[in-house]
Amino acid sequence: MLTTGVAGDPLVLAIFKYAGFFAANLNALFATGLVVNIVLPVGISFYTFTQIAFLVDAYRGHVARYALPHYALFVTYFPHLIAGPILHHRDMIPQFERSETKRPDPHLILCGLIIFAIGLFKKTCLADGIQPLVAQAFGPNAPTFDQAWIGVLAYTFQLYFDFSGYSDMAIGISLMFGIFLPLNFNSPYKAVSIVDFWRRWHMTLSQFLRDYLYIPLGGNRHGRVLRYVNLMITMLLGGLWHGAAWTFVAWGALHGVYLCINHAWSNYGPKAPPRFARLADIAGTALTFLAVVIAWVFFRAPDMATALSVLSKMADPGNIAFGRIEMVYALFVAIYAALAWFAPNTQEIMGYDHKNRTVGENLRAPRMRPLFLYATAAVLAFGILGIQQHSEFIYFRF
Amino acid sequence: MSVTSKNLWRFLCATVAIVLMVAALNFAVDPLQLFRPARLLPAMYSADSRMQDAGLIRSQDFDTVFMGTSLAIHFRQSDIDRALGVRSLKLAMTGSNSREQGFVLTAAMDRGPKRVIWQMDDWIFRDAPAIDSDIYVPADLYRRNAKGIAGYLFSGAMARESLWIGARAIPPLEPIVARLTNGVMFKFPISRVDDINTLRPDFDVARFYNAQSAVAAFRRITDPARSSELAQGYDYGAMVRNFERDAITLIASNPGVTFEIYFAPYSILHFAAMRDASPATLKTAYDFAAYAFPRLLQFPNVRLHDFREVKEVTHDLGNYGDVIHHSPAVDLKILSWLADRQYVVDRGAPLASLERLKAQVEAYRVER
Repeated sequence: MLTTGVAGDPLVLAIFKYAGFFAANLNALFATGLVVNIVLPVGISFYTFTQIAFLVDAYRGHVARYALPHYALFVTYFPHLIAGPILHHRDMIPQFERSETKRPDPHLILCGLIIFAIGLFKKTCLADGIQPLVAQAFGPNAPTFDQAWIGVLAYTFQLYFDFSGYSDMAIGISLMFGIFLPLNFNSPYKAVSIVDFWRRWHMTLSQFLRDYLYIPLGGNRHGRVLRYVNLMITMLLGGLWHGAAWTFVAWGALHGVYLCINHAWSNYGPKAPPRFARLADIAGTALTFLAVVIAWVFFRAPDMATALSVLSKMADPGNIAFGRIEMVYALFVAIYAALAWFAPNTQEIMGYDHKNRTVGENLRAPRMRPLFLYATAAVLAFGILGIQQHSEFIYFRF
Repeated sequence: MSVTSKNLWRFLCATVAIVLMVAALNFAVDPLQLFRPARLLPAMYSADSRMQDAGLIRSQDFDTVFMGTSLAIHFRQSDIDRALGVRSLKLAMTGSNSREQGFVLTAAMDRGPKRVIWQMDDWIFRDAPAIDSDIYVPADLYRRNAKGIAGYLFSGAMARESLWIGARAIPPLEPIVARLTNGVMFKFPISRVDDINTLRPDFDVARFYNAQSAVAAFRRITDPARSSELAQGYDYGAMVRNFERDAITLIASNPGVTFEIYFAPYSILHFAAMRDASPATLKTAYDFAAYAFPRLLQFPNVRLHDFREVKEVTHDLGNYGDVIHHSPAVDLKILSWLADRQYVVDRGAPLASLERLKAQVEAYRVER
């Protein structure tokens, strides 16, 4: 039963998401001329994951008796459906069952609105604001060294603000209904290592891949060599989950290699003396960020040739434009970098504690700070005013 | 009401108040001059012609509309006015298709122009998305409907432009703001309507327009790896259909307006490239002209010029930045030809210029 159920979900996903990819590769190998053109249902990747997790946990005996409406609500819960976070039945269904959830709570509505506002602002003002700069690297013209770096860094920040903005909006909307969604981002570009990065970026995907792929494969229980093999398999499949293209496979493979190196360094490398711990963290953050940026080139590029071309430009400092436009763009990128590295994240601003189901305890004070209230109102206003007719979330397509 | 509920209401009211203030600012400054010509604050213009044209049609006085693609984008209105004795409004849009051009021209017709000067070529009649699916044209702004006006007023990006234009009007700030104003950070960096999308005085014309650039472009587009791109958009049936829908309908429905249509002087390399790398595309281009010329000349309010046969220009590759885009010097020649009614296609022999072009293309040999 488990095999049928667990195989059935990915089978549907494979048909909708990967049939075209397989056909293209078959055509390339055997000149078969297959044409597959299937429209991808919205959110299919996310509800496939939630149902696989449910089936596996049911098999393991970790599932309580849930009412069918609650299960149906869990699978189709609209705030997260399009781009995550990936939900877990153990976290969600008990919340649906609580009687408090059925009563509107002005405090949660206010906090939800503010979190939604921050997410909307991240998307419409920050991510959409830097989006035109991405063409510096991935546009029709071959970039120079500085243009390639500006474009790739712009994409690095666009993707973060776009995706974490959507996650914030999902968390905010859900909170207005009294439901706490899990966090999906925790300032990932502040990570001091790749292992740390994956604890901060798309956290619910990392947890899913760990619990339902890496650990069932054997995890780290069968020696170091097999651990690295399992890591590589997990990251390759994680890459392929993002899209049916070799660029995503390359992106996953790169992160697999990064993780293997990170674990090997932790096992065999020298430890930094305590007095240099801060310096080691800064160096680790810089190195991690650089590694992540290089991997994003594959994630963004339409094909491998473009990715390799952009990377070659990034490694060619002899070809520099650095005119007035590039200077202004570099300033833009620096502002975004400062936000990503030094600004507090949404959960820090709002005191969002998913585990303890608390949020915005400071806002409960009788005299809430007016500056905070009006500043967040301005964030919502400019988030709304920034909405453009033709802008979608990058993760919609995954 | 609990404190939290009061805070919730305060939050919502503050959000609405800020949104309304921004809309009021955009209405007062009106960067596009959609509601009124700029008087209190200095007028500023955008190089994004698909957006800017919606405002120009409303704010400018004109009796002649100048439409086209990138081949017509660098013309100066003052040159057009001087050469033709008109008061012109340039609405040319880089890379535009006939659907976009027809839509913008239809909006301009509401202002009652007497004349339309229309730079045409076969490529503008390629298939294109419906105007409401065209992400580059703010169609509702042209229609001035509620959606378009709301999108304009409730826009944070437009508010940024409004603030910038407002800051420029404050004398102590003006020099600093003017220095900082550029097309990179702001969409409305141009202070004179005559300067919209024209070449800057410091633009190195000789460096951009020269025979080496033209030949390099020829080699690029005839490279076997890329030559299939020459055929993109060339579908005879679609081109004829789009021509009828976008050009003929507009001409037929405005009999009181003179349509002065010219086919731009592409370099001979453009046709030589199609001849050598994509003969079927060249045939489509010829066939389309053979259909379009007589069809256009059925209308008494059309005067048609075919500048593609002007050998002294099209064979002088120094006039070109690639195989089609000509220099500002050729812009002025085009105006003088229009003024002097040169290269007008004869209603009695509508295909004569096409036959002469065919002979030129056949005889031309590319220097290797």
